Amino acid sequence: MNLCGYYPESINEGEGLRASIFISGCRHRCKGCFSPVTWNFNYGEPFTLQRQNEIIGDIARNPLLSGISLLGGDPFFSAAEVSEFLDRLYAQAGAVNTWIYTGYTYEELTADPLAAEYALLRRCHVLVDGRFEEALRDTSLRYCGSSNQRLINIPASLASGKVELWEPTVRF
Amino acid sequence: MALLQPTYEANEHLLREMIAVGEDIIDSKDLDLIRENANLNGESFSGKMSKLGSEYAKWYAKHFIMPKSVVRAIEENYVYVHDLDQYAIGTTNCIFIPFDKLLGGGFNTGNGSVRPPNSIMTAMALVAIIFQSQQNAQYGGVSASKIDHDLAPYVAKSFSKYFRKGVFYFEEEDGAEPSDIHMSNFELQLRYPKSFRYALKETEAETLQGAESLIHNLNTMSSRAGGQIPFTSINYGTCTSPEGQMVIDALLTATMQGLGSGETPIFPIQIFKCKQGVNQSPKDPNYALFLKAAECSAKRLYPNFANLDAPLNLQVYDPSDPDSEFATMGCRTRVLSDRFGRNKLSGKGNLSFNTLNLVKLGIEYGTALGKRKKADEQGFYHALDHYLDIALDGLLHRFDIQRRQKAKASDFMMREGVWEGGEQLAPDEPVGDLLKHGSLSLGFIGVAECMKALYGRHHGEDEQVFEKAFRLIAYMRAYCDRKSDELDLNITLFATPAEGLSGKFTKRDRQYYGSLPGITDREYYTNSFHIPVYYEIQAARKIRLEARFHDLCNAGAISYIELNGNARSNPAAFLSIVQYALSQQVSYFSINHPIDRCSACGYEGIIGSVCPSCGSHEEDVHIRRLRRVTGYLTGDFQTRFNSAKQAEVRDRVKHTP
Ligand code: SF4
Repeated sequence: MNLCGYYPESINEGEGLRASIFISGCRHRCKGCFSPVTWNFNYGEPFTLQRQNEIIGDIARNPLLSGISLLGGDPFFSAAEVSEFLDRLYAQAGAVNTWIYTGYTYEELTADPLAAEYALLRRCHVLVDGRFEEALRDTSLRYCGSSNQRLINIPASLASGKVELWEPTVRF
Repeated sequence: MALLQPTYEANEHLLREMIAVGEDIIDSKDLDLIRENANLNGESFSGKMSKLGSEYAKWYAKHFIMPKSVVRAIEENYVYVHDLDQYAIGTTNCIFIPFDKLLGGGFNTGNGSVRPPNSIMTAMALVAIIFQSQQNAQYGGVSASKIDHDLAPYVAKSFSKYFRKGVFYFEEEDGAEPSDIHMSNFELQLRYPKSFRYALKETEAETLQGAESLIHNLNTMSSRAGGQIPFTSINYGTCTSPEGQMVIDALLTATMQGLGSGETPIFPIQIFKCKQGVNQSPKDPNYALFLKAAECSAKRLYPNFANLDAPLNLQVYDPSDPDSEFATMGCRTRVLSDRFGRNKLSGKGNLSFNTLNLVKLGIEYGTALGKRKKADEQGFYHALDHYLDIALDGLLHRFDIQRRQKAKASDFMMREGVWEGGEQLAPDEPVGDLLKHGSLSLGFIGVAECMKALYGRHHGEDEQVFEKAFRLIAYMRAYCDRKSDELDLNITLFATPAEGLSGKFTKRDRQYYGSLPGITDREYYTNSFHIPVYYEIQAARKIRLEARFHDLCNAGAISYIELNGNARSNPAAFLSIVQYALSQQVSYFSINHPIDRCSACGYEGIIGSVCPSCGSHEEDVHIRRLRRVTGYLTGDFQTRFNSAKQAEVRDRVKHTP
């Protein structure tokens, strides 16, 4: 698994200040994709154990973070490895709130409860789902690019069996 | 008149100097001279006119007024005397205006007398007039330290006026004369529901209208020399009466709505005063206003946040007296405690300040020039003492000139008692001892580059170097405290907001020492004790490191965090950063984030080369890029900043990408 980007602090990929981790590799091939170079699974630097631990250290030490965001590419194409990373993170840094971005829909990801994708989904808290649709592009949207994409509260949705949208905790 | 070297050649030299200054200004040759102050349009007629006056005044002060040691230290680039053009005539720097007193008793601007206002609308209009009148009596910022408290009585007056009208029109009279008319009188609300609601709505509308016109006025009245608008600051946030809350709310709403076509207002600088138990947690009476302030700041860069709970600010805090609450003037100056007992804000201010070039001292005694392997700390501190003494001599010498000025020289300020006690002076009496309640400040710049020059690393890079930096600033503060006792004056330490200065020191040091990596190789020195803008560091760590210096700088300091991204759409991040800074005892804090505005469609947010809303390209339409420089905003950093500040803006590393 490769890392194609890492911001130790960002306000653009989810509520609060978050560490944003970009995992290389995507096969959705959305038209108008913001960075097609990240489709390649070999793009970026190897996300080695050492690099993972560095990043986990950053996160554990930063009192200002509201959590992390996983983006790509699409982290669900490396679901099993990303799950391992999250387990390592949670073991060392405690309960970190995790947002995850994907081109899949929630329905696709929950279709098979035995799949690695489902296992990854379960480890996260907010899902930003759906492919990027150029025609639905809207710069006024918070935390996503096109209006078909949803911000889904994962634990609530898994518990109720239907899609529950995420609500901001702080509003102006 | 004592000329330093009264020879024929010296006279020739003086003449040539003076001619060159005139030519530079008239032909707009030296852009950095013209743009020294981002707030002044130095290419306009009035800008040039004032520049001519001020350059001559500086020249005159240097050659004929100032102590030779100070002039030499300036020439050798160790010391900077701020607002040198005001030195010879004895003007003072900034002030907190006692608006409660001026509005309550009426005042005279010199051109006519003004009665106490009977409504919030009029009161707000008078606030602008008072700011403007006072601005002409000094050269730095004019500030309202508690405008919510000061204006609340006039909201009450408006309410009472509307309420009486309501009772009459809605025929709610019940024989008894309504008494005790104010917004928190619950009984009134029950007995006269229609009138009460009407009065509340009307008062709210009037307050908002007043706030809008105040902000418009403060952005349009170019009354200072050179067509500048007054350097106004307003502090608020702690008044918990419904009237005071209405003032705060209206100011925030008006600021968010923006100017004429929705632009971000540049003045006044707004400061929200944060206090536990008043506005910091959901159960506090003004918490909703704190949230609104954060929203406004995310949208408009103001308000900044003052931390009333920081140790330095708690020292003289008295919950029953809003005048004892920490607030700031101008860029960041404070004058809360006074060795003569006026431990409050209104009615006094800072008198002047001189800044030390720490970088040059660092280069001289550090390892940067390759002359030695280890920093010569003893030599450094010895030289530091020497230049602290010279800078202080300059302040004292200037103070003496200031004291000798007659009350009528700062007419409005003294006659109306804006400076407390001034009202008792006869016009021809010197202001004398009255000024001693103000502060004389020693400032500093470039702790980061100084450390780099001494030890090869700056205080953000290395914990041991951080301790050295801390020790240096603590040493300077101890010097100020010691001198305060010796001289019986308020001598304070200032984290200088260097605007014109940040490039001037650097340019000359580079000419002298060459381009030293991490020291003189940029166009500016890092402000005060800040971690360099170009250094990548997490926001929390920057806050923690800088927080420790705040307590030392009793003449004022500010810390900033840079956010890259649309701060408006992530309230949670904005709030958590502000509250984290407050929790770390940062005394005064703000978040910088880019605000771009497309002049084609009015879209505000982050704009690359193409406007995301209407698709216009920056080559075809003007994209106004608003950035903050040393504490106040400037219309467009590409056209109005001097080159050093432009470079600083370019180099800023966003603490969040
Ligand atoms: S899912 Fe994201 S990374 Fe993948 S193609 Fe679509 S936009 Fe690009």
